Amino acid sequence: MNDLDLQVKLGPLTLKNPVMTASGTFGYGEEYNEFYPISELGAVVVKGIAPWPSHGNPTPRTAEVVSGMINAIGLQGPGIDKFLHGEHYMPFLRKTGATVIVNIWGRTPDDYALVAERLEAEKDGVAALEINVSCPNVKEGGLSFGTNVDSMQRVIRAVRAKTSLPLITKLSPNVSRIADFARGAQDAGSDMISLINTIPAMAIDIYTRRPKLANVTGGLSGPAVKPVAIKLVYEAAKAVSIPVIGMGGIMSGEDAVEFLLAGASAVAVGTATFADPAAPLRVLNGIRAFLERTGVRSVSDLIGQVQI
Amino acid sequence: MDQISRILRNDEMTAGYRRLVFLAPDIAKSALPGQFVHVQIPGLRDRILRRPFSISSADPAAGTVTVIFKVVGLGTTELAKAEPGVECAVLGPLGNGYKPVPGSVPVLIAGGYGSASTLFLAERSEKPGLVLMGARTGHDLILRDEYQALGFRLLAATNDGSFGRKGFVTDLLEEALGSVPSPAVYACGPRPMLFALGRLLEGRGIPAQLSLDQHMCCGVGACFACVVKLKDADSPDGFRYSRSCKEGPVYPAEEVYCRE
Repeated sequence: MNDLDLQVKLGPLTLKNPVMTASGTFGYGEEYNEFYPISELGAVVVKGIAPWPSHGNPTPRTAEVVSGMINAIGLQGPGIDKFLHGEHYMPFLRKTGATVIVNIWGRTPDDYALVAERLEAEKDGVAALEINVSCPNVKEGGLSFGTNVDSMQRVIRAVRAKTSLPLITKLSPNVSRIADFARGAQDAGSDMISLINTIPAMAIDIYTRRPKLANVTGGLSGPAVKPVAIKLVYEAAKAVSIPVIGMGGIMSGEDAVEFLLAGASAVAVGTATFADPAAPLRVLNGIRAFLERTGVRSVSDLIGQVQI
Repeated sequence: MDQISRILRNDEMTAGYRRLVFLAPDIAKSALPGQFVHVQIPGLRDRILRRPFSISSADPAAGTVTVIFKVVGLGTTELAKAEPGVECAVLGPLGNGYKPVPGSVPVLIAGGYGSASTLFLAERSEKPGLVLMGARTGHDLILRDEYQALGFRLLAATNDGSFGRKGFVTDLLEEALGSVPSPAVYACGPRPMLFALGRLLEGRGIPAQLSLDQHMCCGVGACFACVVKLKDADSPDGFRYSRSCKEGPVYPAEEVYCRE
């Protein structure tokens, strides 16, 4: 069956298929382009970019747990200058023809605005920005903006003022009412929302009695978080009219379809890529196979179709 | 690069240590000493990440890749049970290996099962040299016979004195360096050993390469989990984090920031 329609429309952004990569799990695209052309994916979301280069957290930065992992990488990154002009990063991504979404972060709303302004000025090849207000692993910025609607909106408005690029706000699962944040992002001018970021978590080595991460705590990802993510995507999608990008523990096409039914218009594959570099393509093929198997012609016919 | 590979052999060498041979022709063809493979452990339930293993030997003609591992946790416990004939996904060869220094005598320094990594270098060395091995006990000094069969002279140290000198492998360094003309050092082992070695060799003008890593996730440079510190004069902190799976695991010793 060749007439499957995989294209999805995310407000101002149209993707040829609904499978993206989750920021922080795909580097800056170069590593996985050695396995397959990353332009085959709906979009590539790169690791968070700040105004400055940053070390990230001390090691160990990850710990494996049942059906997932806890990470506290801490947003190690090249900074906006190197991202735009280094030999890897954006100059490389432009050559691949991939649809590139740049995840941005900072310690103040002005930091986010500065990165947005720089990307606006050199936006060739940049399809959208994803505002990270939900990283649990940096001391300032990140999650501190994402757990208070006013702070989150200040960041979104600061970015909105500097760019006409489509904006995605990445939400934290670590809030009591996700609908408030989804609506808050929409009201502040975000074109889309994405969720979930990782869930704050901790693991202890019972023999050394020390935390398994140097940062003590981190963020949980992988199949373990999927049911939590499905519930939050479902609630967020009901609360807003802008598109939702769903992620959290997607390992297969079936997992992705579950997110689409919950209300996501696109999905992102994250931790699964660490286990299998081809995971995003496998998920895409799995969606295709599901459509064929169930006689559904278009991905958009699945979006939000959970029957309550 | 990601190859479904059949396990041909999975033998216990001595209690707690095993030798595993994969049929993985594409990896065997291009594997170089110091590189590693990232293995999806067959039968490992509820854990999704792969496990990295140094390549101990590769035979391009037979298409085989050998790894040697110690049973230390869930992943290696399951891998120990994998029967010949079982297939699993093996990613590799990954990382940058040892860069042999022409015209020098190899001095391999191995701590614990770090000797699994330097064995491949011994196997591919133009001429034999020295191997300095250190471990907790004589039981843990694996692969002694293999090195000696390749013509390498063995110096050993154990923490409990049960084999060789009582102490650390670094205690053997001066004797070893004094005994060969134009030595080149290649080392793999626990981080404290490598850092001690790096500091001992600082400013001596002896070419040295250290294989070091950290907890690994993706194995290909995407996740930034397995970073190690390299010296960086441009950084206010004097170091930068480098992805050991991608830029490493083998680094010139003078580039490694030898403290935690």
